[in-house]
Parts: sequence; C-alpha cells; structure tokens
Amino acid sequence: MILFFLTSGLFLGWSLGANDASHIFGSAVGSKMVTFRKAAVIASVFFILGAVIQGSGTSHTLDKLGSVNAIGGSFTLALAAAVTIYMMTKFALPISTTQAIVGAIIGWNFFTGNHTDSKTLEKIVSAWIAGPVIGAVFAVLLYIAVKKFKNSSRIHLIRFESYIKTGLILVGAFGAYSLGANNIANVMGVFVPAFHLADLDLGIFTLSSNQQLFLLGGLACASGIITYSWKVMNTIGNNILELSSEAALVVVLAQSLVLFIFSSTTLSNLIVKTGLPPIPMVPVSSSQVIVGCILGIGLYKGARNINFKVLGEIGLGWIISPVASGLLTFFLLFFMKNIFGINVGTKTGELTGAPDLTSNLTMYGQNDVSGIIKYLLMGLLIFGTIGIIFYILLENKKRREMQRSEEKFWKNMK
Amino acid sequence: MDAFQRHLQKVDYLENNADRLQREIENEMITHSILPQHRSEVSTLIDELDEIIDALKSSLNEINIEMPDIPSSLNKNLISLAETSINAAEELIPAARAYFKAPFTVREKLLKVYYFESETDKLSFSTKKIIFQDMNELDLAHKAHLRYIIHHIENVSDLAQKAADLLSGMAIKIVM
Repeated sequence: MILFFLTSGLFLGWSLGANDASHIFGSAVGSKMVTFRKAAVIASVFFILGAVIQGSGTSHTLDKLGSVNAIGGSFTLALAAAVTIYMMTKFALPISTTQAIVGAIIGWNFFTGNHTDSKTLEKIVSAWIAGPVIGAVFAVLLYIAVKKFKNSSRIHLIRFESYIKTGLILVGAFGAYSLGANNIANVMGVFVPAFHLADLDLGIFTLSSNQQLFLLGGLACASGIITYSWKVMNTIGNNILELSSEAALVVVLAQSLVLFIFSSTTLSNLIVKTGLPPIPMVPVSSSQVIVGCILGIGLYKGARNINFKVLGEIGLGWIISPVASGLLTFFLLFFMKNIFGINVGTKTGELTGAPDLTSNLTMYGQNDVSGIIKYLLMGLLIFGTIGIIFYILLENKKRREMQRSEEKFWKNMK
Repeated sequence: MDAFQRHLQKVDYLENNADRLQREIENEMITHSILPQHRSEVSTLIDELDEIIDALKSSLNEINIEMPDIPSSLNKNLISLAETSINAAEELIPAARAYFKAPFTVREKLLKVYYFESETDKLSFSTKKIIFQDMNELDLAHKAHLRYIIHHIENVSDLAQKAADLLSGMAIKIVM
C-alpha cells in the first residue's frame, strides 16, 4: 500500500523530468548544438546526482509551507500536481513543478484547515519573481561578455562553436545537477515527513531515508526526460526566440547559476560570513528562470524576434498551474477522504489526538519497505548500468560501420 | 595556344579538386556535427563557390572547341573584361574567409565584388556596342558568336555576385 502511495510521487517525478528538466537542454537541443539523445542521457545522470547529493536543502522550505502529515495526503497532492504538469506538458507549455506543488500544498492546507504560512509563501513567490529577473540580468551580462570575446578574439567560427558545444554539455550537466538539487524537493518533499526508511548501505556509500526517496524521484525524472521532454524542449529552444549557439550557452549558464544560488547552502553560509543576509533556500521555478533568460536576451537584441503569442501562453500557464493544481488537490482530497475513507491529513493541532499514520509507516517502513526499496534501487541501478553499456556498444558499432562505408566511398571516388 | 591548353588543364585540375573538397567538407560537417546552425548555409555557399569554377571550366572548354575568331581591335576590351570579371570572383575569397573569423567585416569586403561586377557589366555593354554598331565588316553570325563568348566571361562575375548576396545575408545573421 505504501508503495502504491509513492506512485503518484513517481508520476510527479516523471512530469518534472518531462517539463522542468527539458528547460536545461532546451536551448542546446533547439539550437541543434546537442542531439536530444545526448542531452537526455546527460540531464538524467546529473539530475539524479544533484537530487541525491544536494537535494535536502530546499525540502525544508516546503515542509514549512505545509507539512503534510498523512501519506494519503502526500499521494493526492503529488497526483494533482503531476496531472497539472502533464496537461501543461501536453500543450508544450514550460511550467514549473514548484508552481504546481505549491498550489497543491495550499489546496491541502485549505482542505485540512491548516494555516498556510504566509511568510514562507511570500518567500517562495518572491523567488518566482526574483528568479526570472536575476536570470534575465545574468543572461544579458553573460551574452554581452561572450559576444565581446567572440568579436575581439577573432576566433574561427568552427573552433568557437566547438567550444560552445563543450560548454553547453558541461553547463547543461551543471544545470541538471542544480535542478536535481533544487527541485527534487517538489517531487519527494511531501513524502519526507511520512517516510522514514532504514539507511541503505551500498558498500561504497550509505543512503539515508531522504536520499533513497530522492534517488527514486530522480530515476522517475530521468524516465520523464528520456520519454517525453522533447515537446517542451522545442518550445524553449525555438518557439519563444530563435537562439544562436552562444545565446543557447548563455541561457543555460544563467539558469544554472540562478538555480545554484537558490539551492547552495554553502554559498549562503559564505554570504552570511561576509555580513550579508542569507540567500533563501527556496525551490525556484526553473521555467520562469529560463524564460526570463531568453526574454532578457530577446530584449537586449531589440525585442523584434520575440514570439509574444507563445510568451503570453506561457504566462497564462504560470497563473493557471498553481490555481488548477490547488483546486484539483482540494477535490481529490474530498474524494479520497469521503469516498475511499483514506486519511489525507489533519489539522496540525489535532494531530496528537488523531491516529498517527506516519508513525505507523515509520515502523512498517523500517522492516518491509526498506527491503523492497533496496532491491528496487539495486535492480534499477543494475538495469541502468546494463542499459548504458549496451548503448555505448551500439554507438561504437554504428561508428565503425560508418567509418567502413566512408573508407569504401572515398576509395571508389579516387 | 599552348598557354591556353596549360591554363585549361590547371582549371580542370582545380575544378576536380574543388568538387572533392566540397564533398569532404559536407561529409565532415554532417558526421562531426560541425556548425549545426549554419550547416545548410555554409553548404549552399560552398556550392555557389564551386559553381564559379564549374562555369569557368565549361566556358574555357566551349572556347577551346569553338575557337572564336576575335578581331585584334577587341583584344584589349576582352582582356580587360576577363580580368574585371575574374577580380569579382577573386574578391569573394577574403570575404568568405572573413565569415569564419571576423563576420562583421564581410559586407565591407563584399563591396569590392559588387564594384567589379558592375564594372564587368559596363565593359560587357560597351564591348557589345562596339561589336554590333562599329564593326560593320563582321557578319551577324560572327557578331553573335562574339556576344556569346562575352556572355560566358560575364557569367563569372554574375555568379560571384550571386554568392556575394548569399554571403552578405549569412554575415548579417551571424553578427546579429
């Protein structure tokens, strides 16, 4: 049953992969600098790494907004957010999982009568505004610097593009890592209070309960990237503004920097040491940041080539998604509670009197679920490794065949 | 005549070399995914440049076969016409090179191509006028043949202008 509840989180993870993760490589794939297949593999691997290594930073912020205290509530919340994102992805609109999940948590708060922490909500929403603005400023500054370097160095176009290509892959990997670190909380954050799994010892390293959840979420995201992110990548890369190769690099770099700034506790601590206020650890909307970056470059270039119709649709999607997600959560919670009789959560004050489902899960989880998840993760890791080896072998075979046919062609030409 | 044959052989060799290079470049660009955003334009540019040397080779072959009887009074005009037309094509090379290293200088370099093309037009017009209005001793077939040869020479600068137009658009796109 507990694993069934987790499926909605995995569905949400898949949606995040299909929508949010496509923002990272959208400009690179759209500008044809990186192939979709290569982008999907790199984004998947680094997203998982970011989620597992650095993923816990922002999950606390969502806990503060509304700590979902029943697994049924987490399930419904994740399902509502996932459906919202899936619908937006179907229309190829880049929205953010953050928007959908925040809407869903507020919907849960309304249903259970919990108070929405306005201060945290304010912090999150202000980051939604600050994110794209900072992204646009970063993008314009970086774009000017790259253009200046290109013109003054008189570097050969082919060499320059090859540097850009390498840069896109490196920065894309960094972006995927940052996105994993920043946004995995949206997928698995709601399950954090309800799940307490035993530490998983993999020999070389040990995964804590949260890390196991984040790894599962990361794997779900990876499947979303590989199977369904193409559509949104196209919107990001081509439909808003036709991006040149250097603009593509700048967009990914600026977005990665913004995501990194809002998820790095180390950077925040460093800033505090210098006497400045700390950076809020908020799950930033990657879609808003990337659209902000593209818009910044478009405006710098004179705004003539910006497709304002697509931009309007995206803006509308940003307003609709938290509202739709909140409403959907509210109705789904109603059905779950009254028709299926599932405990979807209680008002925080009432929690002591009500049967505590999370503690049951803790006990239950220690014994059976940890074992299942352990074997599931091991299986997925083995399957993934075999898949990667098979892919490399297949690519090598293709390259060899191509080389042979090339040699034959040039031999006959002479 | 020996010199003409020697030049013809050289052009033939260069044309074959250009064809081979064109295929190699296109091949490399696809297999190593070089300049994915500009690939089709660069391929078209190479095609246009190759067309110039193709046209040169076919024109020289026609001249070789037809052996036009050129009155000595026209020697100076035709040499000048050929030199100007070839200059237009030659000025394309630095502009095409600049596209890869300093695209903002391309249009400036292309001005020379346009200048020589316009000069070729003027020279061709004046030469044809001399042939048809001043050289009454030539019969109409002879005059038509000479005009045909002039068209062949003029064609080189026209093709250079076509490539220059393409290059100019490519340069704007890359600078923006």
